[in-house]
Amino acid sequence: MKILIVEDEPSLRELIERELRGEGYVVESAHDFISAETKIAGYNYDCILLDVMLPGGSGLELLERLKSMGRRENVIIISARDSVDDRVHGLELGADDYLAKPFHMVELVARVRSVLRRGRSGGALTIEFGNIILDPSSRRVKVEGRQIDLVKKEFDILLYFIQRPDHLIDKAVLAEAVWGDYADEADNFHFVYAQIKNLRRKLDEAGATAEIRSVYGFGYKLTLREE
Amino acid sequence: MKLIYRIMLSLAAALIPITALWATLFYYAMVGEINDETDDSLDDYATLIIQRCREGRPLPSLNSGSNNSYTIEPATAAEIAAYDGDQYCDRAVYIPEKGETEPARVLTRIFQNNDGRYLKLCVAMPTFEREDLMETVLIWTISLFGLLLLVVVAISILVVRRSLRPLYALLEWLDGYNPGMGVVVVPNDTSITEFRRLNDAAQRAVTRSEELLDRQTQFIGNASHELQTPLAVISNRIEYLMDHTSPSEEQMVELVKIQDTLRHNIRLNRTLLTLTRIESGNIAESSDIDITELVAEIVESLDEVYETRNISCHVEMGPHLCIYMNDAMARMLVTNLIKNAFVYTPQGGNIHITVSSDELCVSNDGDEALDGERIFDRFYTHTSRQSAVGLGLAIVRSICSYYGFEAKYSFEESMHIFTVRFNR
Repeated sequence: MKILIVEDEPSLRELIERELRGEGYVVESAHDFISAETKIAGYNYDCILLDVMLPGGSGLELLERLKSMGRRENVIIISARDSVDDRVHGLELGADDYLAKPFHMVELVARVRSVLRRGRSGGALTIEFGNIILDPSSRRVKVEGRQIDLVKKEFDILLYFIQRPDHLIDKAVLAEAVWGDYADEADNFHFVYAQIKNLRRKLDEAGATAEIRSVYGFGYKLTLREE
Repeated sequence: MKLIYRIMLSLAAALIPITALWATLFYYAMVGEINDETDDSLDDYATLIIQRCREGRPLPSLNSGSNNSYTIEPATAAEIAAYDGDQYCDRAVYIPEKGETEPARVLTRIFQNNDGRYLKLCVAMPTFEREDLMETVLIWTISLFGLLLLVVVAISILVVRRSLRPLYALLEWLDGYNPGMGVVVVPNDTSITEFRRLNDAAQRAVTRSEELLDRQTQFIGNASHELQTPLAVISNRIEYLMDHTSPSEEQMVELVKIQDTLRHNIRLNRTLLTLTRIESGNIAESSDIDITELVAEIVESLDEVYETRNISCHVEMGPHLCIYMNDAMARMLVTNLIKNAFVYTPQGGNIHITVSSDELCVSNDGDEALDGERIFDRFYTHTSRQSAVGLGLAIVRSICSYYGFEAKYSFEESMHIFTVRFNR
């Protein structure tokens, strides 16, 4: 899997490169419009991470060029501009996803994985980890082939974890991802803990081979059971 | 007090004594003239009688149609000695034709007839006609000057109101001006130099403050924007340390604390960007939003997040309240308003939410009233809460002022009451 990172901020570029390499992808990068154009013209990639504001031109222009050439690369726009308009505009131009800065690396990795999976499977979007199979579109979860019933928040939490397996997830980040703005001024995370507890019990009872482990006092990690 | 009343009061205060003085002077001049006339005609009459007496012609009959009367009698020595010219006086005179006594003006003159005898002539003219005349003069003087005063005041009101029309137009324009919502050109169709200058000055002042506001908004926007990437980089580097380098528990605790602080900053930054976007009017299209439904959904989520606080939240819903506005803005408005109540309600406290046909009212328990003037200001917080950004109510106000809604705060019966009136 080959990924091109088009980002002018060196520090952020380096972080993304390191993270994606760690995930086992082949990573190349471009720091401005010209070099990105050259790379795109010369090579094929599975996924392109595209910053909108680049020295020498706009990332959206590159996207338009790609689409006019009929290229099939998956494109994820990473932009500091986070209005609905920008988002809609990017997706209309043919981007597969739109990620607003600042973002968490685990979020980026999850998006890349999801975009690549979509490209590969041609529409079947189930995600697997251990003996858990999750279908985001129908919101169904199967463990060992048997369906289990999860309430909305439990499903959202499992979806968030299963897109980021083996990664440490901060409780606060999880709360923000699942509960949104409601959680950002909460004085404790009991509400997260309550849902996790139920989710763990349901996974346990269904005999899942993966578990949500607590890490110190502040976060969780979805890992395979060591047996 | 309105300017026009002030002008009229001043004008009346100046005009009333002056017209009163004029009226008095005029009245006394008229009275003097009337007395003069009376005395003149008495004089003529006396001269006529004396002339006839000396020429031996018959004297005018006493009953000559006029009410004038006269008597001729020999003058006593004492009277002759005391006489020094005509004497006029007012006294009651018996008028034989009428058979009654009337007040009259009397002229006494001593003259010598052809025989060389001294005779005393008293000519009397009743004054009731003169009194009538003076009364008439008085009434007319008062009413005419009163009328004059009224007419002057009425004309002045008309003139002042007409002349001040540009001022009222300017005031109306200023009332309609909403900072940050763009400048409408001042209606400047007057030919009066002072008003033209005033209008120009107002236009310049508003344009300038609008420019400053714009620049300030833009600066905050740019600054937040520039901070986005570095903040993200720091946060991601810490995430990397936590996720990939297996730090010791002690190091982990520190890293988590840094992350917490950083997250707060990222949120602050994002909120500032949101505020900037609202204030620069950069909002996507609107649709009909069911506020009632939104409130129910938000309360449910917040109830879950703040479960351990044991807050009892009562929601009173009227008929469905639909507002035409941007979906994200509506959500942000209602969320911030209700979240504010949850954040600041003490353990086991109460929240009341009322949705009526044109209002959303959120009230929660509180100890004392807050500064209603500043409560919607940025970073106004009355308690130091670490997780609070202090921009929630500022966002509420921004959204309200963008859509022309009205956001109010009041404190009644130990409840903070926040009301948003949707002026449709």
